Amino acid sequence: MDFMITVADGFIGMFEAGAEVFMGYMTGIIPLLVTLITAVNALTKMIGEERINRFLQKITKYALLRYTLVPFIAVFFFTNPMCYTVGRFMPEKYKPAFYDSAVSFVHPITGLFPHANSAELFIWLGVATGYTAAGGSQSHLGLMFLLTGLLVILMRGLVTERISAYMFKKQGYENILDEK
Amino acid sequence: MTNHKTVRISKGKYGWGGPLELTPTKEKKYVISVTGGGIHPVAERIAKLSGAEVVDAFKNPVDKDETLVAVIDCGGTARCGTYPRLRIPTVNIKTMSPSGPLAKFMTEDIFVSGTTVNDIESVDGETAAEVTKSDETAERKEAETEQSEETVVTASEQTENSSANNGNGKKKGIMGLIDTVAKVAGNFINILYQAGRDTIDTIIKNIIPFMAFVAALIGIINYTGIGEILANVFVPLANNIGGLLILGVITALPFLSPLLAPGAVIGAIIGTLVGNEIANGNINMSIALPALFAINAQVGTDFIPVGLTLGEAKPETISVGAPAILFSRVITGPLAVVIAYFMSFLL
Repeated sequence: MDFMITVADGFIGMFEAGAEVFMGYMTGIIPLLVTLITAVNALTKMIGEERINRFLQKITKYALLRYTLVPFIAVFFFTNPMCYTVGRFMPEKYKPAFYDSAVSFVHPITGLFPHANSAELFIWLGVATGYTAAGGSQSHLGLMFLLTGLLVILMRGLVTERISAYMFKKQGYENILDEK
Repeated sequence: MTNHKTVRISKGKYGWGGPLELTPTKEKKYVISVTGGGIHPVAERIAKLSGAEVVDAFKNPVDKDETLVAVIDCGGTARCGTYPRLRIPTVNIKTMSPSGPLAKFMTEDIFVSGTTVNDIESVDGETAAEVTKSDETAERKEAETEQSEETVVTASEQTENSSANNGNGKKKGIMGLIDTVAKVAGNFINILYQAGRDTIDTIIKNIIPFMAFVAALIGIINYTGIGEILANVFVPLANNIGGLLILGVITALPFLSPLLAPGAVIGAIIGTLVGNEIANGNINMSIALPALFAINAQVGTDFIPVGLTLGEAKPETISVGAPAILFSRVITGPLAVVIAYFMSFLL
């Protein structure tokens, strides 16, 4: 009997430990997400899609902005996965690089703006909750994640742009490379 | 006035439901505008295209058996459910999805929201008469953007043959001002309210389920001691920049990355394990930032064709783009870890 009681205690205890973690999420993270996501949702609706599109169309021709500010705005306002539709504003030869750049930003942005990819928060939250528990500042790490993310997507966009240009050429799609 | 035509009414941007296709009949010949402050342009447009009559329901209530469609501007939950409950097709010019006590009556076949003047079109074939009509409409659309009092007057003039009994819509003077202020405030609150609704929706559908699964996982790992075993395997790999680089190379392998990427689930689990070990003190805090990139070099590699299609890329671009991105990751995956490692000195 004692043995069975020990087993039962262990069984329930395992889920009590899980319940504690869950409660931590519900009281620690959810309230922040509720207010933050609501405010940003309202903001994006007030600014309106057309205005953002018009602005993006103007700045895609600069390589530096194409792989930093454009993905940032696209992911912030249109969120994952609609942010990739912004690719339509640029010539074919830049589209793979832009996608690579934009998709690599859908997690770095969640550190400060979780609304942008709310279904995939745990890439960030998994590490961040541990970091906070060890005494770190979550907002500080979130900001660094975002800034580093911008550097990484710029690097990634430029590299992929070169590689895809090489491959377009090799496969005889020079017409795509010539497209302005 | 027997010239009845079918109109299609679609949802607007951020709207919900529809599209509705409606044809007026002898019995059901009224478009009712339940919007306050005169007849709404959307109601006018529906009436104009379908050949029905438009009335201001506040001034001239119409029997429900004679109502073709109701145009409402309800951002709350009460009015917008009332007409659907009576099975009267309902067009809500405010953006909202079904909610409130009457939500179950608001179905896609009878309810459409967020509709603007541009979301209404005639279904019948193009005739000469209709071309002229659409010219007129274009002019009207321009005028409408100005949203001045004049517009409403012109608009009502245009439809006066179809609606003799609704008076001249807009109130003037101080009442008009109060009306405008109320509408702007109402619009603002409606946007916030809908934003809140969307947020709760995504939290319940997307975020909390993932938390439930992660919480159960962490509970089991920590309680049973599996965590210690994992830590023994994992910590040597994740606790120094060399190990993270290896992790970054592995997650970026072209044949492996598309398998690791879907839903970001695997990255999330590894991230949670790393976070857990940081919390337990087994992994150094300074490793958090490079780790975030090392566990995620595969991001989006499963989605390349879909993502490029969303950007309206040609098939040739997709066939070149997919391998280009996969190869690029072999370089940029580990490089991202290096960048993050140097950035972490700023933390």
